[in-house]
Amino acid sequence: MSQNTSDTGPRRHFLRTVMAVVGTVPLAPQQLAGAGIAALAAGSAAAADAQPPAGVPVLVGYACFSADEAAFVESMVNVMCPADQYTPNGVDCGLAIFIDRQLAGALGQGAGRYMSGPWEPSKPQMGLQLPLTPAQFFSAGVAAANRQCRTQLGKTFDQLAPADADAFLKDLSHGKVKDDELTLAPWFNELMYPLFEQACFSDPLYGGNYDKVFWKMVGYPGLPATHTLDMVNFRGKPYPGARDPKSIVDFS
Amino acid sequence: MIKKLPKRTVVIIGGGLTAGLISRQLTSQGVDVLVLERGGEHAEGAEAKLPTQRDELRWDTRQGLVQRWNVQTYTLRHNRQDAAAPIRWMEAFLPGDGVGGAANHWNGHTWRWSEYEPTLRTHYVDRYGKNAIPSNVTLQDWGITYREMEPYHELFEKLFGISGQAGNVNGKKHAGGNPFEAPRRGDYAQKPLITTQAGLQFTAAAQKLGYHPFPMPVANSSGTYTNPDGQKLGQCQYCGHCERFICEAQAKGTPDVLLYPMLRQRKSFELRQHAHVLGIDYDRAGKRVTGVRYIDVQSGQEYEQPADVVVLAAFTMTNNKLLLQDGIGQPYDPATGLGVVGKNFCYQTNSAVNLFMKNSWMNPFLATGGTAMCIDDFNNDNFDHTGLDFLGGGLISAGMFSGRPIKSRRLPPGTPRWGTAWKQASADWYAHSMGLSVQGSCYPNTENFLDLDPVYKDAYGQPLVRMTFDWRANEEKMSAFVTRKMEDIARTMGADIVGPAAPRKSPFDTRVYQTTHITGGTIMGADPHSSVVSPRLQHWDAQNLFVVGASVFVHNAGYNPTGPLAAMALRLGEDLVDYVQRPRELA
Repeated sequence: MSQNTSDTGPRRHFLRTVMAVVGTVPLAPQQLAGAGIAALAAGSAAAADAQPPAGVPVLVGYACFSADEAAFVESMVNVMCPADQYTPNGVDCGLAIFIDRQLAGALGQGAGRYMSGPWEPSKPQMGLQLPLTPAQFFSAGVAAANRQCRTQLGKTFDQLAPADADAFLKDLSHGKVKDDELTLAPWFNELMYPLFEQACFSDPLYGGNYDKVFWKMVGYPGLPATHTLDMVNFRGKPYPGARDPKSIVDFS
Repeated sequence: MIKKLPKRTVVIIGGGLTAGLISRQLTSQGVDVLVLERGGEHAEGAEAKLPTQRDELRWDTRQGLVQRWNVQTYTLRHNRQDAAAPIRWMEAFLPGDGVGGAANHWNGHTWRWSEYEPTLRTHYVDRYGKNAIPSNVTLQDWGITYREMEPYHELFEKLFGISGQAGNVNGKKHAGGNPFEAPRRGDYAQKPLITTQAGLQFTAAAQKLGYHPFPMPVANSSGTYTNPDGQKLGQCQYCGHCERFICEAQAKGTPDVLLYPMLRQRKSFELRQHAHVLGIDYDRAGKRVTGVRYIDVQSGQEYEQPADVVVLAAFTMTNNKLLLQDGIGQPYDPATGLGVVGKNFCYQTNSAVNLFMKNSWMNPFLATGGTAMCIDDFNNDNFDHTGLDFLGGGLISAGMFSGRPIKSRRLPPGTPRWGTAWKQASADWYAHSMGLSVQGSCYPNTENFLDLDPVYKDAYGQPLVRMTFDWRANEEKMSAFVTRKMEDIARTMGADIVGPAAPRKSPFDTRVYQTTHITGGTIMGADPHSSVVSPRLQHWDAQNLFVVGASVFVHNAGYNPTGPLAAMALRLGEDLVDYVQRPRELA
């Protein structure tokens, strides 16, 4: 498989992922700005965080994505989460792995979702009314988005330059990309966007939010929390635990 | 083949809060009680232990403690002319599943409703005249008074260790409490929770505007606590994982901590789990019920369980479903206004606004499900409605309940939905933002009701409950008014940015969580023609069937329903001790 890493075609992101996730160096908190974290990140604790964390599991390999789907999602999460002063790029943050695992698992298979017919179109406020599991809806949506991307721009989504890909996602979210077979705005807004947010802010247990990078970014201390004294001592003040969040993984 | 079981004295459908409270009363007098609960136990599961308890994705986003929609959901249409669609994944409200029911994953807000609420129709007519209530707003008196219920409120607050600040003790106003509260006999069981930074800033602004801020009364235990039954609560650690979670510290007053472990030690009590009730056996001619039918969801075996008395103590929707399905009582017909079952279905009319203050550390993760400062100045009829073209109102509060980062990140209006600017806004504002919210009343409307869906079925082949519901004119106008009052407070707080304060408007949207406080459909009252159960919660058309829970509420106030429904359950338990010895129509 590694012989193919020089491939610059649509599949390149998929193959890079394995390398990138394995090789991720967590972002040093000094690089983080933002009022929420800046005041906390200054100080000696930051230096210790620059080492790759021990014991953080690295998930590699997709459980359900096809090559096209992997390429689409990797491009999407890298556009939505570019490498910047806050975090590494979306793939390196584990966002694609998270989405893959969720779609391969209970969510994707429609656990808990009412799936009896008849299937009639309805108002948006009643929620999606399609006889598809979320995983099937995902696949159909990637195909439709790529179909429209090819029609409009002559390329599949993963082949777009980042600025074009960003514009395409905005058009998707605003309902400006029309497809005869599938309504793409709810696909993006009610399936893909929530998965993106969840990938960023869930416990790293699920493969996203690698090294708690998003928790560090906002200053969420994670768990456990025995805050009775903190309620008074840190009311209206920066909370020191926010610089070193703890996840389920840290206690497992 | 259905198996018939030996007869029991009292069979309770649903193993939640009200069933636990009724069972407490009955078993203390040795009355035989069987509780049928469709779900299992939570106390020893991953949901109740660290570190797995603190998993926002699993318990909150993916609704790990909530009714499974593939087994049973509801259909919705906004108007009875429309076709209804099944809600395939509900976000708007979250019935529980398992021992303790929805009261396991609640936040703990515990109110005594205003003294005038059980006699609201009389109150409005007395204050504003006989034309004050529009003809399509079917308010009616409940057939009880607050005075009758006060001892049971008192008992519930002691049992659940409610933390709060009294504002009205026997008519004497106490500074720092709620001056609008119904008169209490004494202090709350425990002192109030510690106030958050958001609460302090809200309090200052509310006082500046001449309002009366006070801490929310809650079942989050401000100290270690032992209740009158000897059951214990730990001290709350302000971890921000209350609503949608099981408290691993046993610091939240819930049935699975305070009731069921105790009940299991009592000889006359039995809890049967994984027992999903399919129907109530109704002897129409005899005007009585003979028992219930249920399926053991682990084996698939169906059972007939005979009973002297049946108590319907499930969530609002299931209470309605079983009565409608088994033809107990006359279904409500909106075309004629006749019939009662399914009538006066209400929700709550909520709205919110976000505030962003770069110089204030709000630290949203230092919180409980009940760390809120509130004002009641614009709730219900606490303010003069003369000249206003609506009735009702809302509680305005600065509730900081959690900093869970998937859902509790507030972003200023205009923030891009992704990219570096989105990250920057998340980083800048997560610890420096707060919200205000309105929990508004919802009055009954002739066009809001429940019946059985003619098309869609649940996993057992039974019809789904169909909601015909939308925000009607009275609620939209109320929301516009109270939301403006909330916005005024927000603007007084000196925020750098105040988000849009959008009042609640039609259409009702099932994709957004609003509150689990749905009420009505099996309403109580003194007149059998306009109510399903009597003021003693006894079914008018089946003397040995009792219905309890928010489904008996005639309307919904700007308060959480738990206080009154718990008080009613405690009183019902007491009544049933008497009833099983001498069955009769209770006066």
